[in-house]
Amino acid sequence: MRFRRCWIAIVASAVWFASGGDCLWAGVFEEQVAPILQKHCVRCHQSSTDRSGLSLATGPEVAASGAVEPGEPDSSLLLQVVSPHGDEPPRMPKESQPLSVDEIEKLRQWIAAGADWPKDYVIRVKAKADRSWWSLRPLADASPPELGAHTTAPKGWGANPIDRFILAQLQANGLRPNPRADRAALLRRVTYDLTGLPPTLAELAEFTNDPAPDAYERVVDRLLASPRYGEQWGRHWLDVVRFGESTGFEVNHLVDNAWPFRDYIIQSFNADKPFDRLVTEHLAGDAVGGGDPAVEVGLTFLVCGPTDIVGNSDPVKSLQIRADGVDEIIRATSEAFLGLTVGCARCHDHKFDPILQADYHRLYSTFAGVFHADRNVAPKALLAERAELEARKRALAEANAAADATPNPEIERQLAELDAQIAKLPEPPNLRVGRFEQPAAEQFVYVGGDVTRRGEPITPASLSTLADVTMPYELSGEAAEQTRRLMLARWLVSRDNPLTPRVLVNRLWHYHFGRGIVATPSDFGFMGEKPTHPELLDWLARQLLANGWRLKPLHKLIVMSETYQQSSAARDEAMQVDAGSQWLWRFPPRRLAAEELRDSILFVAGQLNEQSGGPGFKLYDYSRDNVATYKPRDQVGPETFRRAVYHQNARAARVDLLTDFDAPDCAYSVSRRVPTTTPLQALAMLNHPFLLQMADLLAARVAQTAGTQNMSEQVRVAFQLTLGRVPLAEEQIAAEALVAQHQLRALCRALLNCNEFLYVN
Amino acid sequence: MPLDESLLNCVDETVLSRRGLLADSFRGLAGVAIASLLGQDGGTNRLWAATTPQPSGAGTPHFAPRAKRVLQIFCPGGASHIDLWEHKPSLEKLDGQPLPGETGVSTFQGKNGNLMRSPWPFQPAGASGKMVSSLLPHMARHVDDIAFVHSMYSKSNTHGPACVFMNTGSIFEGFPAAGAWVGYALGSANENLPAYVAIPDIRGEPPNGQANWSNGFLPAQHQAVVIADHQPVRNVAAPSGVSADEERATREYLNFLNEKHETQHPGSSELRARINAYKLAARMQLSAPEILNLNAETAATHRLYATADPNPLKAAYGRNCLLARRLLEQGVRYVNLYCASRASGVDGLLNWDAHKTLKADYERHLPIFDEPTAALLTDLKQRGLLNDTLVLWTTEFGRMPTQQEGVPGRDHNPDGFTCWMMGAGVKGGVSVGATDEFGRRAAVDPTTVWDFYATVLHLLGLSHTQLTYYHNGLNRRLTDVHGNLLRQVLA
Repeated sequence: MRFRRCWIAIVASAVWFASGGDCLWAGVFEEQVAPILQKHCVRCHQSSTDRSGLSLATGPEVAASGAVEPGEPDSSLLLQVVSPHGDEPPRMPKESQPLSVDEIEKLRQWIAAGADWPKDYVIRVKAKADRSWWSLRPLADASPPELGAHTTAPKGWGANPIDRFILAQLQANGLRPNPRADRAALLRRVTYDLTGLPPTLAELAEFTNDPAPDAYERVVDRLLASPRYGEQWGRHWLDVVRFGESTGFEVNHLVDNAWPFRDYIIQSFNADKPFDRLVTEHLAGDAVGGGDPAVEVGLTFLVCGPTDIVGNSDPVKSLQIRADGVDEIIRATSEAFLGLTVGCARCHDHKFDPILQADYHRLYSTFAGVFHADRNVAPKALLAERAELEARKRALAEANAAADATPNPEIERQLAELDAQIAKLPEPPNLRVGRFEQPAAEQFVYVGGDVTRRGEPITPASLSTLADVTMPYELSGEAAEQTRRLMLARWLVSRDNPLTPRVLVNRLWHYHFGRGIVATPSDFGFMGEKPTHPELLDWLARQLLANGWRLKPLHKLIVMSETYQQSSAARDEAMQVDAGSQWLWRFPPRRLAAEELRDSILFVAGQLNEQSGGPGFKLYDYSRDNVATYKPRDQVGPETFRRAVYHQNARAARVDLLTDFDAPDCAYSVSRRVPTTTPLQALAMLNHPFLLQMADLLAARVAQTAGTQNMSEQVRVAFQLTLGRVPLAEEQIAAEALVAQHQLRALCRALLNCNEFLYVN
Repeated sequence: MPLDESLLNCVDETVLSRRGLLADSFRGLAGVAIASLLGQDGGTNRLWAATTPQPSGAGTPHFAPRAKRVLQIFCPGGASHIDLWEHKPSLEKLDGQPLPGETGVSTFQGKNGNLMRSPWPFQPAGASGKMVSSLLPHMARHVDDIAFVHSMYSKSNTHGPACVFMNTGSIFEGFPAAGAWVGYALGSANENLPAYVAIPDIRGEPPNGQANWSNGFLPAQHQAVVIADHQPVRNVAAPSGVSADEERATREYLNFLNEKHETQHPGSSELRARINAYKLAARMQLSAPEILNLNAETAATHRLYATADPNPLKAAYGRNCLLARRLLEQGVRYVNLYCASRASGVDGLLNWDAHKTLKADYERHLPIFDEPTAALLTDLKQRGLLNDTLVLWTTEFGRMPTQQEGVPGRDHNPDGFTCWMMGAGVKGGVSVGATDEFGRRAAVDPTTVWDFYATVLHLLGLSHTQLTYYHNGLNRRLTDVHGNLLRQVLA
């Protein structure tokens, strides 16, 4: 360094002698200069992120950069770019406010005094939230608030702990809950909620006429035991794990062997498989059930996201595409299970949450051996036996071909025998469960997310984010590929990990009430919403753990609550305080989801085929050469009259009705669907041939039930089948006039389109 | 019929007055029946479909806009900058020589051979003397109104991701297209039409298909509605086999049910929104066939756009160009107009992806593109629409200055290519940035798609850093965390 001299300190009482590399009152740099660089510069200019090659984070880097000429502020690039020149604004910083005059002057004085940097001092960018962030703390041991004698709790609100949590917040906000919903509304609500379908007329009659005190509880038990439950709640989970059945990107070919995963999800929900087990099977099904297709199928989770399979001869681009593929798995995993946006830490430390770029790459090395591919899944011995027979067959065939042109009868006989033996072996299913390879022992942070720039070495390990509360692990670079995934799974569901159960119970709450206790179900970080009922959230999470990670007891607890059973009626005074119903002074009404709507139309028309499982049906015409094309279909046959969860959902394929009503594209994990109201929905509901077809079939069903001659009975039946109620007098009169002029179909078409059919109260 | 009286007089006079015109184009009388269902509350629903709350764009820009709407022309396949817009004399001089410093480099499809000159000469055009390919005789007439950006570069060298990148600012699917962002910010200027329309080419969708006009994480109403001359709006036609009377009576009864239901469930804006959505749908059913009715245009206009060209692909594109003008004229905010499609089977046959036979491929594509596009620009200008319409020309990337090893074609080049802007607020006759001597890499003022869209939003009166939407951990932007205004293109 040239021209060392004293720098008369910027704080009157402090003098910093920059001689011989030692600093007197070295704290001045930390207090006066470093904060400027931290605030304005280092977010972009640090070695982990910077793409221009300039880092202002450490002394040696600053010295090497040439941006600072000690003692020469005017010829220092740093000072030039942060200073305005005439009318021209300063060139830096690009992405935040310009430096103040005072800040520029401090930098000038520091450079003039020799630009000394305390040894080993590193400027780090701080995330907005640290490890004390609410969601990263251990689960609180919250107990339901006691309802004091002075509280005027509505009847029944003391028994279920959930209600006590809710009531406390209602009262704190000056609100009181609604009375119970009437039985018809309640049955419709809980039946849609737990099964995605409306109740039958018989179920409605039974429940509304059942005086037993446990009538509702028996309904709940029946619904939770119904195979329709897994179809409804499995569909929710398929959103979260961004399950799609085409490759996405440019090629976007259909994937025809992913559906077993969808069936596995449905069956797992129906069987109430403990969720810690499910998570483990998603990440490491081969470790806990190797060779068993029923377990390994869980691995489809890893590889059911979009993947670029075009291929690329550019070696750097090819590496980048691979890194993007792993990135997709990291994002899906961290959002689905942890509610953390770890993907944001790909190029730099997370700007909002305490997630380091190193954490991202710990997950990267965890998944570095996962490849999007299909695999035969069967016990190893069986696969080996088949492989051996096939090898022998190949050898024989070669010998035969080599011998001479005429087939050798003995070899022919042996070949036939081998074929027979192979045929006797059970056929191993070919599943979309990924291929695993041992990654290179040395893995590095990709500086700035750039695959050509290696940063610090990294090994598979847990996230530092939770290191204070959850027992961490760190594996060596030699760790087996499978072990990496298994360790991550175990860490996710370890007893001291507070995030996984919090995120899971919040998802449950979200689907039951239309809004989570945390309204951003896949973001429990700084940018997400804060919980409305943090104690309830933790209490529910502890219930989940106490129930051995089973969901059905939790569902029951929630839907049995008075909170859930309230009427959805709007009260003016409450709407003024809380129009979004976040404090749950009423049950928030909701529109049917896309799948529920299509299923319901089929159901009321008497056409729903309740066959479970198997390959999906398609509502598009599919054609492929090197790329795929999806054309929506106008005419659909009875093979499509199954529940929409069995639709083969391709990416970037518009599907009438489903896409219109916000069914996701599965390009990424979807934690909540934003319900929209659009004219395109109206156009599809009015004009798509499917709706007309269903209106015709519903009309036929009505006529069959009510008789062809009795018009007023027809109208009654049409209302009951679609809306679960009899028409009011004026509805009846107007409907009879409509039917008299235009037949039953017109009435049925109107009923399928009406708001009452589409909304759940 | 004993229906609520109010239903029978809720007739929109302005729509009804078009009965005669519509009768031909819209399945006979069903359209007339729909007209009778239209309410009179049009003024209260200025935003097409904007019935869910819009946190950011309330239909007002951040500052005074130069442009009110955008036409984005897209040539999928990676249209060659050095064969269309950016003249490279060195390529002509060093034709057949190795590319200095990059001999035999591997790009998307494989190894590259030596430098290859453009098969066609470049010619000076306009008062600015801009050198453009001689295969663009019609477009050459517009160069004085165009601001070329010759220094674009992309993050991907693969069609799908690069195409989506050019449209959404992300190489991954699931992000909103620029048109969706603009619709979200500004809404529609015409309650009868969507804010955002995509017009795919008759040859098919572009690479990655619908991801290019997706709403991404924005609410679904911001996706583009697909309309083309060869492809009417989906579900816009009333179902066959339903008489006009039945249609009217059905909708009247539906409305009666919904109104009644709403009185029993007060306080829900959603129920009202859905009732309105049905009315808006009815308006669309009337306006869509009308806007698609190109027969309303004069013979001279049809000649200008070459809509009856013997080349059916050119005629089809010409008709879509004409449709684009009609949409813009009616106040659609953002129109994506595609010239060519994704690749299918042979490279370069269906789009600008000239890997092996550059000369034959571009002698097929350029005549399709040149005359109708130029006609559209001429027409926009003569109608005064260019004053407040911003026109963009884009593609996913450029092409290598070298030939692919052993064949007379060019591989993908994401490191340098050309896009351009024209119209409202844009300085004409300028060329901004440049690739190096050979067209290999952006060299002068390298420009990203984020810079490009920061400028587009700016012209629309929107600050690209302020137009945000929360999604998975971030307040997302069209320009991600990037974007610098291209001040040199601003008039």
